[in-house]
Formats: sequence, structure tokens, C-alpha cells
Amino acid sequence: MDRRTFLHMLGLVTGTAALSACSSEKEQNRLISYLVPPEEGVIPGEALWHPGTCTECPAGCGMQVRLRDRWPVKAEGVPDHPVSAGGLCVRGQASLWRLYHPQRLKGPLLREGGEFRAISWDEAYARILAALDEARGTGRRSIYLAGRTTGSLAALLGESCAALELERLPEFELFCHAALRQANALLFGQGEVPHYRTDQADALFTLGADLLETFVTPVDFARQFANRAGRPGRRWWHAEPHFSLTGANADLRLPLRPGSEPHLLAWLLRRLADGGRRSLPAATVAALPDVTLSAAASATGLSPGELEELAAGLSRAQEPLVLTGGGATGGEGGLAAAMLAGLLQWTLGATGKSVDFTRTENYAGVGSLLDLERLAGQLERGEAGVLFVARANPVFHAPVAWNFAGRLRGATLRVGLGDFFDETLREMDLVLPLSHSLESWGDVEPRRGVRGLIRPAVLPLHDTRSEGDILLELRRRSGAAVPGNYQEHLFGEWRRRYDTHTLRSFVDRGFVEEPVTAPPVVLNARGATAFLRGLRLSPPSEPPMLVVAPSIRRFDGRSRPLQLLEDIPDPLTTVSYGAWVSISATDAALLRLAESDELRLSIGHWSAVLPVKVQPGLPAGVCVVQRDLLEANPGGADPRTGEALCHLDGLRLEKTGKRVDLPVLAGSSSQHGRGIIPDPAHRKEEYKRASLYPEHTHPEHRWAMAIDLALCIGCGACAAACYVENNVPVTGAKDHLRGREMSWLRIEPFYDVPGGVEFIPMLCQHCHYAPCEPVCPVYAAYHNPEGLNVQVYNRCIGTRYCSHNCPYKVRRFNWWSHRWEKPLDRMRNPDLSTRTRGMMEKCTFCIQRIRAAKDKAKDHGRPVRDGEVVTACAQSCPTGAIIFGDLNDSSSRVARLVRSERAYQVFAQLGTEPSVWYLMKKVRGEG
Amino acid sequence: MRGEEQNITTATGRVEKDVLAALGRPGLRYLAGVGLCALLALMLFILWGGLALRGLGLSGKNHPVGWAMLITNFVFWVGIAHSGTLISAVLYLFRARFRTSFNRSAEAMTVFALLVASLFPLIHLGRVWVFYYLLPYPSERLIWPNFRSPLVWDVFAVTTYLIVSLVFFYVGMIPDLAIARRRLPGLRGRTYGLLSLGWQGTVLQWRHYGRLYLFLAAFATPLVASVHSIVSWDFAVSIVPGWHTTIFAPYFVAGAIFSGTAMVITLTIPMRRWLRLEPYITVDHFEAIAKILLFTSLIITYTYLVEHGLSLYGNSPFERDQYLYRALGDYRVLFAIMIVCNSLLPLTMFVRRLRRNLAWLFILGILVNIGMWLERFVIIVASLSHDYDPYAWGTYNFSLVEFGITVGSFGLFFLFFLLFVRLLPVLSMTEIKEHQ
Repeated sequence: MDRRTFLHMLGLVTGTAALSACSSEKEQNRLISYLVPPEEGVIPGEALWHPGTCTECPAGCGMQVRLRDRWPVKAEGVPDHPVSAGGLCVRGQASLWRLYHPQRLKGPLLREGGEFRAISWDEAYARILAALDEARGTGRRSIYLAGRTTGSLAALLGESCAALELERLPEFELFCHAALRQANALLFGQGEVPHYRTDQADALFTLGADLLETFVTPVDFARQFANRAGRPGRRWWHAEPHFSLTGANADLRLPLRPGSEPHLLAWLLRRLADGGRRSLPAATVAALPDVTLSAAASATGLSPGELEELAAGLSRAQEPLVLTGGGATGGEGGLAAAMLAGLLQWTLGATGKSVDFTRTENYAGVGSLLDLERLAGQLERGEAGVLFVARANPVFHAPVAWNFAGRLRGATLRVGLGDFFDETLREMDLVLPLSHSLESWGDVEPRRGVRGLIRPAVLPLHDTRSEGDILLELRRRSGAAVPGNYQEHLFGEWRRRYDTHTLRSFVDRGFVEEPVTAPPVVLNARGATAFLRGLRLSPPSEPPMLVVAPSIRRFDGRSRPLQLLEDIPDPLTTVSYGAWVSISATDAALLRLAESDELRLSIGHWSAVLPVKVQPGLPAGVCVVQRDLLEANPGGADPRTGEALCHLDGLRLEKTGKRVDLPVLAGSSSQHGRGIIPDPAHRKEEYKRASLYPEHTHPEHRWAMAIDLALCIGCGACAAACYVENNVPVTGAKDHLRGREMSWLRIEPFYDVPGGVEFIPMLCQHCHYAPCEPVCPVYAAYHNPEGLNVQVYNRCIGTRYCSHNCPYKVRRFNWWSHRWEKPLDRMRNPDLSTRTRGMMEKCTFCIQRIRAAKDKAKDHGRPVRDGEVVTACAQSCPTGAIIFGDLNDSSSRVARLVRSERAYQVFAQLGTEPSVWYLMKKVRGEG
Repeated sequence: MRGEEQNITTATGRVEKDVLAALGRPGLRYLAGVGLCALLALMLFILWGGLALRGLGLSGKNHPVGWAMLITNFVFWVGIAHSGTLISAVLYLFRARFRTSFNRSAEAMTVFALLVASLFPLIHLGRVWVFYYLLPYPSERLIWPNFRSPLVWDVFAVTTYLIVSLVFFYVGMIPDLAIARRRLPGLRGRTYGLLSLGWQGTVLQWRHYGRLYLFLAAFATPLVASVHSIVSWDFAVSIVPGWHTTIFAPYFVAGAIFSGTAMVITLTIPMRRWLRLEPYITVDHFEAIAKILLFTSLIITYTYLVEHGLSLYGNSPFERDQYLYRALGDYRVLFAIMIVCNSLLPLTMFVRRLRRNLAWLFILGILVNIGMWLERFVIIVASLSHDYDPYAWGTYNFSLVEFGITVGSFGLFFLFFLLFVRLLPVLSMTEIKEHQ
């Protein structure tokens, strides 16, 4: 071999070796395209939408899930759903976490000597049936306690309980609205929670009902809020002892002393009874407690002027509505408040119109804490055999004094059905894991005549069953002839109810509306008079007192396992992780407490130690703690209605002297006059800029967003949607304490209006002259031809200069490579990458959705239509406050809004020219 | 060779002997010092590895404070690097004789401080493994660095300065290396011989040398102004309140000379003592350099007044709040220490007795450097903590990793310096001879 040949050979060998090294077999998967695409199934890269119903709370909003490569990756509202009309709340957005949660129960468990051991379903069924037989033999009654159950499952549960000789207890919900139902039964013979149409009322007075957080159907109320907003002459008063998100969004928040609600309503009723639409019988009016204006004022703590204004506003209005519920009916005077409010609704003409008894909220099967107390008695007396607890957490909600967990031991076998270990399941002998509503068939009837579909979108991830299947299987094994499984049972039911066309539409759209006949609503004046005669108004609570409030993030505590909801801060306090107690600035000064100082709260034998968060606008002497943050229910139950007491007297406060790290995400509760939410009285200034560089051109599109602050209620649904859509990592308490949250979109509350708060969603403003772009040394931040400020992750070297130069501070640096614990990694959206450590990320205006819409338009050979691109935040917003579109299209909705008189840009004086326009609540000069 | 030997008088011989005595066999204490510094430097690299492998979450940074101790260290070390050039180049041009006593160690300090400083922009990168995106290399994707970004200017400014300082340092040392070649036996002599590039000390060589040295001095002098101006533009070009001011360039240059001078004092006083160089570095020399310290301190104080005065006088709520926050907010203690160290204590230099008191000068040098480190920290961290959007305000707490890296950078710097003291002539023998 001569030298040249050797070199040839060497070159050949090196070249082939290098070429073969270019591919890695390990990382490769073959993608074979379908010859004939399947009608329904997995098409790689194509998204499928499955309509269904959200089961995170009892409201029953329409929820569709987006399937990518057969895995659900995103939940969204169903646009024309009768309950939610397209929106989805923060809990609904987070509900996918429940499906994929690493700590979900993965198979049946049996307690043996204090430890749980995995068993088979066969063994579980066998043990239950044996225990049922034994109980029957010893004369003990077996009991079934479930959370709120509606639709076909309620019927099946009834049948099954009869067949298996189980006593079916009224369903358990903490927010059971028992006082409302009792009052409506007494007044109108309708023991129901009516469907309130607050958007029909021009003068709305809500007392205690937290419409925008947890009250019956919060997404619906948010939508109604949006319908009300912007209409002239509408006024909303909200009275409550503490400071809730609902109160924050009312036109006027009246802080009143808890327990004084009946005083206020009695005075209002006396004041308005004469001029009402429907007159009350003289005997009823005469039986009303004699509350004068000054008595009402001194009881409530409100000024006579405020009360008179409220009464005048209600009497002037065309369609006044007084609505009570929530905390106002969850107390000693709860029933009285509900009764008086019912009478007010009647006399003001709201009953039958904005208080709708036709499509009532379906709480027919729900009991109250009184039923739980009865159960506790049965258990104590040793009358109970097998106890089933399904989808409910009575141990957590029963008052501490009852020692419910201890009394549970009175049952011979305790069977828990649920998806996570909670306080109740931990006390069970046998734990049966339930399938998620995205893994099973079912239906719900949250409102009379509205049936929502539950339809599997994915095969069960674990060895779980649906409750219907468990019941059918138990019956089958006990010897009954049961045809098929729960799915077949359901389809049988549906076929009986609906014709083929309706059934088809039910399965395709995810809901069906059935015709409902309006029941007669007649006032039972005699009953009302009798009640009023027996009514003795008790004096209101004396400060200091504890208000146990529901939580927008965790409802009554059932959404606690979803960590995403902890990453999104509480809207009012901006506390993300951990428990806290809100106190007023006055009390903090009195007790010499700084934020994060620990405070011991005690009432009787109950006590809790919580760090303090000072809540602006909270009345002195009121401490607020969210129900889900307490380890146990400190109060008792109202003996008449069975509602849990929401405000507790006799509170003792004691400073422990310790400090706890509390992640408060807001750096300041005030905007320090910086005009982020400008004072409408200010003159709008025009800013001119000079630049040496050529102007950006946007030949095709210029994407922009408008956010209507008059509609933003601060609920945080947009933030949750953004997390799920964009694979934003959930970082955990430790990083939050260090100020390293990763949210691309946040809601900033600013307490600059006296006694109130204003919210502003803050996200990347996609500035026309973005300060982040010139400072990036490697062009990772650049301006694309469609007006988007784009971050090229692979190019980013992580100098973080862009973040510093961003006046809106919306850029997020990946301090770690964030991990998605299996199987949570299934939830990641494959349309965009997950970011690794050391790179900057931020809002992209959902560029993947823009792409998808553009591709679709291109396939059809037409331009992208206005409204075709909907960002995740805009889609989820229950009030429709976020509008996205193309500014180049001057007829687009966003272009019209940008030209509105209310439009402004944050920090316009910096010359950044953001692509996000905010719409002020009020136009200059007005109010 | 022979001609040169004939020129040696007893006096110059003593200079050579005294200066080269340092190159002798090292003592135990010296070795222990080198070992300690090497360990600290090793710690720096280990901690850096941790940051790169685990993520910058190991540092105490957050949103909004994304630059903190590491960038403070960068500015601090670049600042230290400044007086080297000032003393050797600017004072050379001004024919300030006392520079002879300091110039070699000041130049060495420049080079070492720059080496240490240039680590920090790399350490603080989120993805250091792609740092080369910062360089204008021919890329198949046709992407260049963004020349509008001050961080790219930084890359050029610092590398230019490093190269020029290194050349200047080396060129100035060539005649001395030749002396070492002649004086030291064996391998060491031959090594110095190699480094002296065949220096013979002929008249022609001296003439070329003089020209080159003058040229380099003239070339390096504007760099004193440009490098730290550009470093200051890392901040001033941004729109962050507290950073976005036109005074930053002269302010930073003065600050750099101030801290560099203090560092020269801090290093030379013990060096002079341990290497017994009292005859060559006299108290008069220290007095002269103390005057520079005083002068730059007054400039710094003036800029503080201008900065704060204008922010209060101006109509920007962002600026005003920022400067109030800096003085009265979360970092107020650091701010107070900074004022005491940088503005108040150097006023003692008006007193002649204190100017000539080496113990006080040594302490003052250290305090000034603490003050200047804090100045950079306060500028960087306080401005970021409190910028436009009050919701996004946040404070920074350093982590042990950053603290370790900071300590390690001092270890690395002193390691370089200790090695320099034993390996290279610490005083310019030829210049001393010239002045004698």
C-alpha cells in the first residue's frame, strides 16, 4: 500500500465512522403515517377535544379536555355550556393535576395493624360482602355516606343501597346551603337552592354569598358579573364581615359585624315592605322584629347614611335583588337571614324572576352537619355495621368537639372511596381508589334540567374503578342479576331518557338541556308570620372574632392535593404556599405583629398557630382564616340548619414570638402612585419617541391583547390556564420563599383605593420597542415580524439582563432543571418545549396556538379570522376580560378596543409601546 | 554581556541582590500561604461546577435580583485592575517618579485581577457551556452576537484590556528578566533567559524598548477610561432606575482607580516588609499614592451627591424612590458602611501624619476596598430589588455558594500574587537604577 492509498483508506474509514456517529439509535422512534387515518384515535401531532364536565367542585361546569397523542394535556371550558358558558375557574384548570398526581391512590388498600397493604379488587369485594353479611347477622345497620351525588349515579346509589340493605345517608357537603333550602321550604314550599340571575338585577345586594369564589356556581356568577359590567345604572352592594374577592369586586363593600345580618335584613324589609312589587300580609309585616335605622346601624356597625343609601338604591331599582348565603347563613342567625332575604326577594319582586325556582341548583340529596351528627351518634351507640364513605371528608369537616375520627371506630368495617389519602381515608380499614372523571363514564345534573356528561378521555392510569362499577359489582357478587357494567347501565339510562339525536348531541357536546316545568311559587305567609313571631334577634358577634372563609383555590379543602393551586397565589393576600391568618392593620399594630409573625388563635379548647398576614381593608377585630388551611373545624354546627359556623366568638389572640417564612409574592401592596392602574382623573399623556433604528414592520399580523380591568375579578383562572398550557414548572414553597416563582402570568392586587383593591393581570407586554431585546448579547430575545417578542430558548445563555431591563418584570429564569414527577410528565403540552436550567422564559402569547390557527387558515386558503387565535388565558377567563387578536386587521375586536377611550398602556412613559392594552375601569372624568 | 557587567556598580548590584533575593528558596510560611490560596481557588472551581451542573438556584438570586454577588465581584475585580495601568502607564506619561516603587506589583495586580474578573461573567451565565455564543465566530447559522448589547462590548473591552495589560506587564519586565537570567544559576536562569527574549541591553535595544514602552503606555492610558466606562454601561445602558444615569462612566472609572489604588496600598505594605524593600519603596512614595486615594475619594463623594441630589431634584418617581430606597431601605446598613468607608474615612488623608502612617494606610486600604465592594453591591442589588413594578419587588439574600466563590476569587488572586512575588522581580530594577 502506498502513501496515497493509505490516506484514501484513512479518509474513507474516518468519514464512515463519523457519519455513523451522527445518528443515535437510542433516541429514535419510527413515525409511520396512517394509510387511512382513523375516524377517532391517535393522529400524531393532532389535538382532539373531548367534551365533559368538571368534577373539581359541585358546580358542574362544562369542561373539555385536549388530547395530544391520547393523553389529556389541557382542560378548557365548553363555550356554550349552560352553567359555565366557556369559562373555567382556577380549580377547573388545575383539575388535570388530579388525574396525573403522583400521589393518587393506585389500587385497593387494606389496613393491617396500622399499615396499609395493597390488595386485589376481588379480595376487597369479598371482605366488604363478608362484613355486610356479618353486620346483617348482628343486627347492625350498614351505612353509605357520599359527597354530593347527582344524575344517574344518584339513582344507582339509591337502588344499590336498597339492594345491599344499606342505609343511605343524606349526602355530605360542607357548603350545603341548608339554611337557604330550609328557608325556601318554609316560605315557598321549595326546599331548593334557586338559580340566581344576578345579571338581571340593576340593584344587587349580596349578603355574605361569595359569588365569585365558591358560592354554588362561581364561574356562572363571574359570567353574570361580566354581563352586568359596563351597563349604566347598575349597582352592586356586598356586605360581609371580612374581605373576600367577591367583596373586592362589588361596587360598594359594606363591612358588617357577623351575626347582624338578620338585623340589617329586618330593617330593610320594614323599610321596603310598603313600596314593594308584592305586598306582604299585614300580619307578616307586624310580626317583623322592630329594628329601627339606628338599631340596625349600631348592630351592623354601618353608618345610617350607608344603610339609607342601600335601601334607597333597592327601592329605586327596576329589578332589585337581595341575595344571601355563604357566611351570612352559616351562623346562629343563618336561618333568620335566609328567611328575611327570601321575604325581601318576594316583596321586591325578584322571586320567580332573578330568583329562579325552575332550574334550581340540584342540592336535593344533600344533608348537613346535623346528619353527620346523627351518624356520629349511631357509631357511638354501636349500631353501625359497614360504613362506606365516598368522595367526602367528614373527619376534616366535622367539628373537633365531636371527635368524629374516634367515633368512626364504632363501625365494624370502614370502607373509603376516594382518590387521595385525606383525613377520612386515613381512618378507613379498606380504601377503594376511584377513577378520575376523565377515566370513567358518568353524568351529573348540577342544575335541574342540565345534564353534564362524564366521558373517559384516557384509559385508567391505575387500578381504579368508578363508583358506579363498584356498586354494580358488589350487587353482582351478592347474587343479584346485574346486567353489564356501569357504562352499559348508563347508556341504558340515557337511551331511556333521550332519543337518538339528543343522545348523540349529549355525547358530542358534553351536556344536554332538558325541559323543566316551572313549579308554583306561592308565599306561605302564615308559616312566615309564625317564624317571624318566634324570631328573637341575637346580638351580633363581638370582636375579636374568627371568620372561617371558603377558599377560591381549595374550595372546602378538597383541592388541597393539587400543587398547582399552591403555586398560584391567593388573589387577595398573594400568599402562595402554606397557611396564614389575615388580620387587620389595626390589630397588627395593637399586638405589635409584623407580617409572618406567629399568632396563636384559640377558642375554647381549640387552638391553632398561624403566621400573620396583614390584610388591608379588613375591619379591626376580625381574623380570617381559610377553611382549608385549618387542620380541623374549630366551630360547631348551627343546631337549626346544620351549617358549619363561619364566624366564631370568644377568640383569644396570643403572640408566640416566633416567625414563620410565609411566601408573599407581592413585593408591595401599593403601586406607590406609579400609574400601573392609573387614576382615571389623570390626564392621559402622549409620549413621543425618537429612534435611530428603522421601525419594525408587521406585514402580515401584529398580535395584540386587550385586558378589560372592569371585567377582571382577580380569580387567577388565567394564570392556571397558562401554567398548564405552557408547561410552566410548579416550583414549590422553597423557591417561592426565595422569590423564584415561574408563573408567566400573574395577577397583581393593589390596595390604593380606600377600603378596596384593584387587580391587574401582568404578563409579557410584547413591547414594540422591547427593552429586553437590545440588551441580549446573543439575540435570544428578538422581535418577530408579527410583533411578538420572542425568546429563543436554545440561543439563550442565561445572562438575565433581559429580565433586569424589563420594567414589567415578567421574565422568568430557570434556576433549576424542573422535574415533572411521573406521571405528571404526561400533562406537558407537546406543542412547545420544556425549558432546562439556565435559560430565560416568558409569556409567548401562546405562539403554538397562533401557529395552529395560521396552519389551519393556510389549509383552508384564507386569512386567519378574528377570534380564531385564543390564548389559554383568554379562553379560561370566566368574564372574558382578555381579548386577543390582530391589530393589522382594523375591524378586529382587539383593534377596536385599543382605540377605545379607556385603553392605556402600562408605563407608557418609558416608550416601550407594549402590545398589551389595558382598559381602565372608568373613562376619565366619569365618577 | 561583558560590557553590561562592567557597568555594575556596588549600588546597582545591591538593588539586584535585594530584589532578586525574593526569588530564593521559599519558606514554610510562604508555602502554607500558597497552599491555602490554592485550596480556596479550588473551592471556587468546585462551587462553579455545582452551579453549572445543578443550576443557578444554588445561588441566592431570584426574580427580580438576577445579578448580585457574582457581578459585584466582576465589577470589583475589574476595578482593582485599574490602578495597575494608571500607575504604570498614566504616571509614566506624567513622569511621576514614585511609580517605580509600585508599577510592577500594580501591573501584576492588573493582570491577575483581570483574570479573576473575567471568570465571573462566565460563572454567572445560566448556560456557561454555550458561552461562545458571545463571540463573533463564523457560525453556519449566520448568527452574530448582538452588538447593541453592552454585554458584548464587555467581552471586547475586557479581553482588549487583558491583552494590553499583559503585553505591557511583560514588555516592562524584559530587562529585569535578563538580569535574573544573569544572576540565577541553572535551569531557572535558562528559563528567565528564554523569557527575556534575548535581551542584551544594547543601546539599540534600549532605544526600541523605550519607544515601545512609551507607545504601550500611551495605548493603555485610554483603556483606563474605556474599560470601566464600558463596564459601567452594562448598567447605564439599561432602563433600571438607579442604573440608568449618564454619570456612570466617569463615576465607575474614578471608583475603579480609587479601589485599585487602595488595593495597591494593601498589597505593597506587607510585600515591602516581607521582602525587605524599605529602601526602594519609601514612605514618601506611599504619601504620594495616598494623595491619589484622597483625590479619587473626593470624586466618588461628589458623584454620590450628584446621583442622589439629581434623583431627588428630578421628576421621576422611579428614580426618587430608588435612591431613597438605597439609602433607607433594606440595604441601608450596607449603604452606610459604604459612605463611611468611601467618603468619610479617606478624608483622614488630609492629615499628613496619617498619610505617612503605614499601619493606618494599610487598614484604610482594606476598608476602602470593602466600601467599594459594597458600593457595587448596593448599586446592583438595591436597584434591581426596587424597580418599576412594586408587585415584583424583592430582596436578595446571598447563599453560601456565592460567598464561597467570592472568597475563592480572593484565594485565586492571592495565589497568583504569591507566585508572582517568588517567581518574578517585584520591582523594576532597571528603573530604580535609572533613578539612582
